[in-house]
Amino acid sequence: MNWIIAFPELVLTLCGLVILTVGVVQKKSTNPFAACSMLTIAAFAITGFLVTVSPDGSGYEHVFVNDGFARFMKVLSLIGGALATIMTLSYRGTSGGGRFELPVLILFSTIGTMLMASSDNMMTLFVGLELSSLAIYILCAFDRDSVVSSESGLKYFILGSLASGLLLYGISLTYGYGGTMEYGAIRTVLIQSGGASLGLMLGIVFLIAGLAFKLSAVPFHMWTPDVYQGAPTPVTAYLAGAPKIATFALILRIMAGPFGALAPQWQLLIEMISVLSMVFGSLAAIPQTNIKRLMAYSSIGHMGYALMGLAAATPGGIRGTLVYLTTYLFMNVGVFAGIAAMRRKGHETTDIADLSGLGRTSPGLALMMAIFMFSMLGMPPTAGFFGKLMVFSAAYGAGLYGLLAIGAITSAIGAYYYLRIVKVMYFDASAPAFDTRSPSLAFLSVSMGIVTALFVLVLGPVTSAAQAAASALIG
Amino acid sequence: MTHDLGGVGLGPYLTVSAILLVLGVFGIFLNRKNIIIILMSMELILLSANLNFVAFSSALGDLSGQVFTLFVLTIAAAEAAIGLAIVTVFFRNRGSIQVEDVTMMKG
Amino acid sequence: MHDVIASYFPVLVFGVIAVGIAGAMLGGSLLAGHQKPYAEKTSAYECGFEAFDDARRRFDVRFYLVAILFIIFDLEVAFLFPWAVSLSHVGLFGFLSMLGFLGMLTVGFIYEWCKGALDWD
Repeated sequence: MNWIIAFPELVLTLCGLVILTVGVVQKKSTNPFAACSMLTIAAFAITGFLVTVSPDGSGYEHVFVNDGFARFMKVLSLIGGALATIMTLSYRGTSGGGRFELPVLILFSTIGTMLMASSDNMMTLFVGLELSSLAIYILCAFDRDSVVSSESGLKYFILGSLASGLLLYGISLTYGYGGTMEYGAIRTVLIQSGGASLGLMLGIVFLIAGLAFKLSAVPFHMWTPDVYQGAPTPVTAYLAGAPKIATFALILRIMAGPFGALAPQWQLLIEMISVLSMVFGSLAAIPQTNIKRLMAYSSIGHMGYALMGLAAATPGGIRGTLVYLTTYLFMNVGVFAGIAAMRRKGHETTDIADLSGLGRTSPGLALMMAIFMFSMLGMPPTAGFFGKLMVFSAAYGAGLYGLLAIGAITSAIGAYYYLRIVKVMYFDASAPAFDTRSPSLAFLSVSMGIVTALFVLVLGPVTSAAQAAASALIG
Repeated sequence: MTHDLGGVGLGPYLTVSAILLVLGVFGIFLNRKNIIIILMSMELILLSANLNFVAFSSALGDLSGQVFTLFVLTIAAAEAAIGLAIVTVFFRNRGSIQVEDVTMMKG
Repeated sequence: MHDVIASYFPVLVFGVIAVGIAGAMLGGSLLAGHQKPYAEKTSAYECGFEAFDDARRRFDVRFYLVAILFIIFDLEVAFLFPWAVSLSHVGLFGFLSMLGFLGMLTVGFIYEWCKGALDWD
C-alpha cells in the first residue's frame, strides 16, 4: 500500500478540511469569505503542481489508477475549479456578502471530479460522481434568499439523483452479469466471452444514460436550461466546466477500457446521442432571450460535438475530444465572467437585450464577448476552431460522414445565434452602461479572451499532451 | 453460481429489485403532489440497486458487492440530508412544496 | 422452492396467533366495556397539564435538522463495524485510513457546532 498515487487528492482534501475549519472558527464580525477563496485558489495551484509530477500506477485493491489520461483530466478539472473560485471573489448573493462555504464546496466537488478521472472500478466511479454532484446540488441552491436559485437547486437535485439512481442500477447489472466491478477484469471477461449477455447490455445502457445526464446530452438534457438560469453565475460557470470534463473522463475510460470490445454496439448509441444533442442544442437556442439559458442550449450542442470524437472510437477521436474540452473550458469561463459582469445598480441582469450597445458603452467587455462568441461558433483562428477541426477530422477518418454533415449544418445554425449577440452588442441602440467590473471578473474575461484568441500558440503542447493522454487510454 | 441464495435462486431477488426500481421511477414522474414523496422514491431506486448488489454478491461469492452496498447506504443518507435541506430552503422562499409550484422558470 | 416456503410456516402461525390475540383484546373491550367519551377523556394526553392544541400539527423544522444531523453521523459509523472486525487483516494502513476518516467526521462536527446547529434557540 502506498499513499503516493493518490497524494494530490489527499492534499486537496486536507486543504479543504483546513479551510473549512479556518472559516468556521472566525469571529462573527470578520467575514472569512475572501481569505477562504484565496486559500482555495492556492490549494488548487499546489494540487495542480502535485498532479503533474505524480507517478503512474494503480492501487488500493484496483479502485484507483493514475496515468497520463487521468493527469490530463485532473489538471483540466483543477483549472476549471480555480477559475470558478476566482469568479466567486466578486460574487454577492441576493442578501449581499459572500459566504465562505462557496469556495469550500467548489473544492470538495473538484476532489470528486479528480476521483472520477482516476477511477479504475465502478465503486470509485459512483463515489466520485456523487461527491462532485452532492456539492453541486448545494451550490445551485446557494443563494438561499432567491427563489430561482433554490428552485434550480431543487430541480437539479431531483433529476440528478434520479440519474445517479439509474446509473447505480446499471452498475449493479454490470457487476452481476460481468462478475466484477474492476475495469480490467470486465475487459478480460468480455474479450474471453466474445460478447455481452442481455443483462450486461442493459447495464451498459443504464450507465450511458446516467452519464449522459451529467453531460446534459439529449435526451437527458431537460434540467440544463433551468439550472443554468437559476444557479448563481459562478456556480453555472463551474457546473459547465469541471464536472462535465470529469464525466467525459469517465465515459471515455469505461468505453475505451472495459467496454472497448463492444465498440460496434455502443458506437451507434453514442452517435445518436451526439446527433440529437447537436440538433437540439442549435435549434432550441434560437428563440432564447435570456443569455444564461442560451448558454445552456449552447453547452448541450457543444457536448454533442465533443461526443463526436468518442463516436469515432479511435485514438485520434479521443485526442480531438480532449482538445475540444480544453478549448471549451476556457471560452466557457470567459463567457460566464462576461455574464457575471452584467450588473446594473448592483442587480444582475441576464437578458440578451441588456447587452445592446455594449460596443460603445464598454468596448473592452464587448470585444472579449465577441471573441468568445466567434470561438463558440468555431471561427478560425480562435480556440473553438481547433477543437472542432480535430473532432470533425476524427469523424471523417472513421467514416462517419452522416455525423459530419449534421455537425456542419448545426454549426451553421449555431453561427446564427452567436452572431446575433455580436450584432446586438455592436449595432443596436445603447442600453444604460453596466456597473464597473470588479478586478477578478476583468482579469478573468481578459485572460480567457487572450487564451481563446491566441490558442494557436499553445496548440502544439496541448495537442501532444492530449495525444499522450489518449494513447494512455487506448494504448 | 457458487451459492443458491437460500434455495430461491437469483431470479426472485432481481424481480423484486426491478419492481422497486419501476415503483421509484414512476413515483417520481407520476407524482403530482408533494416533493417529499419524490425523496422517498429516490430512496426506493437506490435500495433496489442495493438489493441487486447483495443478491449478485451472494450468487457470485464475491464480497465487493456488499462493500459497495455500505458506500451506497452512506451516499443515500447524505443525499437525503441535502435533499431535505434544499426542500426546506425552497419552502422558505416559495411557501409551498407542491410539485406544481416548482415553475418559476420555463421555456 | 417448496422447502423454502415450508420453512417459513412457523412465521405464518405466529402471525395468525398475534392477529387473533390482538383482535380478541380490542374486540372484547369494544363489546364488553362501557363507552362514555367526553372532551377531557378524548383530548391528547400531556403529562401533568391540559393539552394546548391538536397533536397532529406541523413539526418545527428544527426537529428535521436534528434528525438529519443524526442520520449522517449515525450511518458513517456503519464503516466502523467491518473495520473493527477486520483490523488484524487491514494492518497499519487500514488503521490510519480509518483515523483519517474519523478526523474528517470530527471536522464536520466542529463545523456544525460552530455554526450553531446544535443550539435549540
